[in-house]
Amino acid sequence: MRADFLDRHSRGTSPIHQLPAGGKLAGAVLIVVTVVLTQWPVWLGVAGLLIGVAALSRVPVGFLVKRLLWFEPVVLGMAILSLWQPGGVEKFTTLVCRSTLCVFTMILLANTTPFSRLLHVVQQLRVPAIFVTTLALLYRYLFVLVDEAERMQRARQARTYRRTRWTVLATVIGQLFVRSTERAERIYAAMCARGWK
Amino acid sequence: MHIPDGFLDGKTAAASAVLAAGGLAVALRQVHRHLPRERVPLLGLSAAFVFAAQMLNFPVAGGTSGHLIGSVLTAVLLGPSAAVIVITSVLVVQCFLFADGGVLALGANIFLMAIVSNLSGYAVYRLVHGWSHSVRSTVLAAAFAGWCGTVLAAICCAGQLALSGTVPWTTAFPAMTGVHMLIGLGEGLITGLVIAVIARARPDLLDQPAAGNLTPVLGYGLLLALGLAIFVAPFASPWPDGLEKVAATLGFEHRAVAEPVLPAPLPDYEMPGIQSAVAATAVAGAVGTFIVFGLAAILARVLVPKSR
Amino acid sequence: MIEVRNLSYRYPDGKEALRDISFKVADGECIGLIGPNGAGKSTLLLHLNGILPERLASDPAVFVGGQPITEANLPEIRRQVGLLFQDADDQLFCPTVLEDVAFGPSQFGLDGDRARQALAAVGLAGFEERVTPHLSRGEKRRVCLAGVLACDPKVLVLDEPTTDLDPRGKRELKDLLKRIPATKIIASHDLELVVELCGRSILIDRGTVVADGETIELLNNELLMLEHGLERPHILMHQHPHRRVPFLA
Repeated sequence: MRADFLDRHSRGTSPIHQLPAGGKLAGAVLIVVTVVLTQWPVWLGVAGLLIGVAALSRVPVGFLVKRLLWFEPVVLGMAILSLWQPGGVEKFTTLVCRSTLCVFTMILLANTTPFSRLLHVVQQLRVPAIFVTTLALLYRYLFVLVDEAERMQRARQARTYRRTRWTVLATVIGQLFVRSTERAERIYAAMCARGWK
Repeated sequence: MHIPDGFLDGKTAAASAVLAAGGLAVALRQVHRHLPRERVPLLGLSAAFVFAAQMLNFPVAGGTSGHLIGSVLTAVLLGPSAAVIVITSVLVVQCFLFADGGVLALGANIFLMAIVSNLSGYAVYRLVHGWSHSVRSTVLAAAFAGWCGTVLAAICCAGQLALSGTVPWTTAFPAMTGVHMLIGLGEGLITGLVIAVIARARPDLLDQPAAGNLTPVLGYGLLLALGLAIFVAPFASPWPDGLEKVAATLGFEHRAVAEPVLPAPLPDYEMPGIQSAVAATAVAGAVGTFIVFGLAAILARVLVPKSR
Repeated sequence: MIEVRNLSYRYPDGKEALRDISFKVADGECIGLIGPNGAGKSTLLLHLNGILPERLASDPAVFVGGQPITEANLPEIRRQVGLLFQDADDQLFCPTVLEDVAFGPSQFGLDGDRARQALAAVGLAGFEERVTPHLSRGEKRRVCLAGVLACDPKVLVLDEPTTDLDPRGKRELKDLLKRIPATKIIASHDLELVVELCGRSILIDRGTVVADGETIELLNNELLMLEHGLERPHILMHQHPHRRVPFLA
């Protein structure tokens, strides 16, 4: 899997990308709050605003739509439960629109703001250091581990003839944990070597 | 089970966020006090591990696929306090990097997966594992705990949706619990299998003392109890409990009271058969728990030969 | 500059890793550390700036600039002895390039500008905001080196610096290393690198020093090489055993 699968477009050069991360974060939360608290006339305005931002950010439309569709099953699956009540159809529509707008807001935030910038914001908010370290390491090593898992899975599958994918998966996950702990030890050494206090 | 934004109302989201913050505070304190310095990077790597493991899909009947949630697995491997931080980090990154799970619902998602699923699962794990310390009992306990943690989180999630007025409890409870009783089977199976793999490859990793060994049972227990009281208790009794029944027979009870399973009085705001579905789910859950325990025992027996 | 006196080490599980190792490295010297897999090269390197042993012994075996490594001078030793790890992914633990290079200086309380200078020194100016996972392997290796150089070390300790680099990456790294004036200790299976950079080499096998001498002489000793799982490098094959490789002179 490509290492930039999650945030391929977060490092653009558009005016939206250049806005300060903290401001964008606050803005996104504000939009989500607005959407959750209001009804459809306001949503039209918000949708227009979001589409404007998306256009300004020059993130490919196809990518944004694909990301949005990725989450639609979850939204629909949960919203469908609301049908079993009086006025269910109306409630269902409300939920789907509301959620879709919120998801779109967050997709835009994620794809116009590098995660490392968001981390700086988190750091400035005086979030405990261990938490910031964990977030940073998670971001740094996610795709190192995903690649490792894919290589193991492929190597395993190359040697299995029957469809035993559950056990293959468990072996891969188990080995992945073992390797993660070993890597954590080496990273600790590397951190100490550069004077980590 | 990442709840997107828009499904929770203000009070539910706020209550969940407060509970989540409480859990995080306890966990951070615990980790600060007891986690050795050389294990700090392990938290980050474990978080990356959980996220990566969640990206590996396994096949489920009917061409669909599921994936590991990993809360209970992390709790078993690192101890509950470290797991709270690890799972929370995963959820935060998923929310801000991937828009998976809402930002206002972040507190609720943290509460469900980092607190309820993780801590209740860990409690079950310790309870079952307490009987014996063989590898077989570790696998059994982990698999069973994986199922319990998943189902309990689903019940809480149903409560949150109902309390928000989004989905009535009579739909949310059977649907969420039913689906997650199945998802939980996968979770339990994978958790058990993975623990068995690690037990074979690096048994020393399973002997790590949980952060500080002494888990703040009181703090975590209180949080879980509060969560259940807020989100589940208001709906939890599909039929009158003892006290209400007495009140009803004595004539103090003016509300229409639902009767058990049998011809449920179908109030006009509900669809037929749904009240009984709640009761049926509760019964199925209870029976399911025993069945899953049996399955976990069989799994452990198959995976771990007796000689070990 | 560095002196190792009768260093022995056992892993926590009791397995012996190093036995009675002694050698000296003069100021400005470039030493090759060669030996088969599992000989103890990496373990030895981890001792040179106090990552190992887990608990510093009361009778120190490693001296840097005449000073024994102790709990008290550990930060200073770690600044003076820069360690380049075998796996670049282990060493680059920060999300962006600049953060990573600046990690050392910030921990040691050095000037923040050093990071940019070090990046420029390895030819990666303009890479500051790049994200670590998106770099090529050669770039990652050079960022690692920048992170070490940014701490202004007196000694550079490199563990397999050229593994997983393509020929151009290797060439660039070699040229870069030649330009760095610090004392260098290079552990590597890449014997051509050792021939090119290191005048003297130490051969280690099963945790002990087997030979210590001029690189060309050591590597031309075919019997010694074969006995310890190594091979005389091609670069020396058609040379008179006691003549220097011409383009190195």
